[in-house]
Amino acid sequence: MLAQVLVSSVTAGAVYALIALGFVLIHKGTGVVHFGYGDQVTFGAYLVLIAQMSVSGLPFWPAVCAALAISALFGALIYGGFMWPLRNASLLARIIASLALGTVLREFVRAYMGPNAWPFPFLLSQTSIPVAGVLVVPANLAIVGVSLGILGILFLLFEKTLYGKAVIAACDNRIGASLIGVRVSTVFLLIWILASVLATVAGILVAPLLTLSPDMGLIGIKGFTAAVLGGFNSLPGAVLGGITLGILEALVGTYISSALKDMISYGILIAVILIRPQGLLGGLLVKKV
Amino acid sequence: MPLKPILSAAAILIFFAAPHFLAEFHLFEICLIAGTSLAVLGLVIVTGLAGQISLAQSAFVALGGYGASILATSWGIPLWAGIPVVAMVIALLGFLLGLMTLRVAGHYLALATLAVTAIVQLALIHWEALTGGAAGMAVPPFEIMGRALTTGRELYYVILPVTALFILITHNLTASRFGRALTAIRQSETAAEAMGLDVLRYKAAAFAASAFLGAVAGGLLAPLTTYLDPAQFGITYAIYFLAIAVVGGMFSPLGAVIGSAVFVLLPNYLQAFQSYLGLVFALLLLGFIVLRPNGLSSLRWTRPSRIALERPVEPRP
Repeated sequence: MLAQVLVSSVTAGAVYALIALGFVLIHKGTGVVHFGYGDQVTFGAYLVLIAQMSVSGLPFWPAVCAALAISALFGALIYGGFMWPLRNASLLARIIASLALGTVLREFVRAYMGPNAWPFPFLLSQTSIPVAGVLVVPANLAIVGVSLGILGILFLLFEKTLYGKAVIAACDNRIGASLIGVRVSTVFLLIWILASVLATVAGILVAPLLTLSPDMGLIGIKGFTAAVLGGFNSLPGAVLGGITLGILEALVGTYISSALKDMISYGILIAVILIRPQGLLGGLLVKKV
Repeated sequence: MPLKPILSAAAILIFFAAPHFLAEFHLFEICLIAGTSLAVLGLVIVTGLAGQISLAQSAFVALGGYGASILATSWGIPLWAGIPVVAMVIALLGFLLGLMTLRVAGHYLALATLAVTAIVQLALIHWEALTGGAAGMAVPPFEIMGRALTTGRELYYVILPVTALFILITHNLTASRFGRALTAIRQSETAAEAMGLDVLRYKAAAFAASAFLGAVAGGLLAPLTTYLDPAQFGITYAIYFLAIAVVGGMFSPLGAVIGSAVFVLLPNYLQAFQSYLGLVFALLLLGFIVLRPNGLSSLRWTRPSRIALERPVEPRP
């Protein structure tokens, strides 16, 4: 029983981890906390459906490719249209802008595709396979695998390549980085494109598990919690935080009360912010004056 | 002749004359605008003046509405007495939330207040014995001196004076010691602290004020809409208030009224596009925060010193 709960909860945790990775990528790469990221994940999944609707008879996989391409363009649009004009605005204005961006996406999907849920195909088989007495679903394993894979790629990018160092430098000190020849605006643009594509990948993986409706983006709060729990600047922290959150939720939901399940994660969010704002794996942040 | 007494006299005249000329539907909308602007007034204080983002306004409005209704149905305390009591309690809650700002600012504050809204909404849904659960609860009528006020025409005489009172108070507050202290904190917390201001206490007081106004607004809007639905008081509602504050202008009480009027009246003109309403509101918010971060109330009588959402000039390294 406990083993089954743990195995199932790792899937939920991997979903949170996937979304948390996007938050951390944007925050690490551009210094912005993107409050609309959860809605962008939903939007990514809807893009596949929209592509299939507008070109009749388009098979699933080309539609996925189209969605990825459109979301890359969309990432460029977010940077060029909103984040670049707001680069000198106050933190408050930028927070509100990213909230607004998410709301626009959510309401667009609601207006264009209707408020009801849409069916979304699984990428892999969802028949469960017994492994050592525990049922394992390949489609769920894929989410765990992809989360870890993306973590690996991003980790290598930031830690091992010169380009990743340039990204961190650009985020840390814009003027300093541009003095040593880093083209800061290009770096930020690429981060937004990458994060936007990542959101669509997450959306396509997550949509069949959850219900694909305009309000699926509210899962973003769970992603936040995971990111905060792991330390907002740490990529491995995002995955660790996501899986910890998934397991905690499943344990509370199974053994205490399913009504408490969601409240626990919001409670964790507040508690971590108050007690250990740097998270599990984050370094201590020194507040700049 | 001084202008102020004439304007006040005209305002009072219009206030008493309006119910005789306007239909119930319009009076209902006026009440809705007033109640909404009362809730947004809280954001004007905490986000506009003090510069602390708050996504908890939806929770305060919900608690105000539910608290007053529960007091009335379970203990028989009439709404006119229940609303102030509940508002005081929720102001205390707001103060405690404000104390959190000692450790939390910026993104984390937005997240924490977002979590508060989500927790309150979940509590309203799951505490069925008290709140009626997901089905919601009916609000008892607003009774005063043995008379039940139910329509917009009757509640008009309660909601409008209360709102006007709090707008005046907030207006005076902005120029008071408290208001100037909050402005100083918004512009630079470190400088404010160096001047000897107890930053934490001021920020907590700003949160308490916003919670108080939100709860009063919730208490007054509840008998107007006659029904409380927990699904309404979510994160979307919190962003709705923020959008009103941004579109109207976050730095003046007038902005709260202008913004509320836009958001309440706009649906009347977009009847044909009902399903696009949410998108229109979201685009308004996005457009204003990018192009006109100081909102509609700053359009004509801009004062240079009030350009507050743009970052002050920083010394170059």
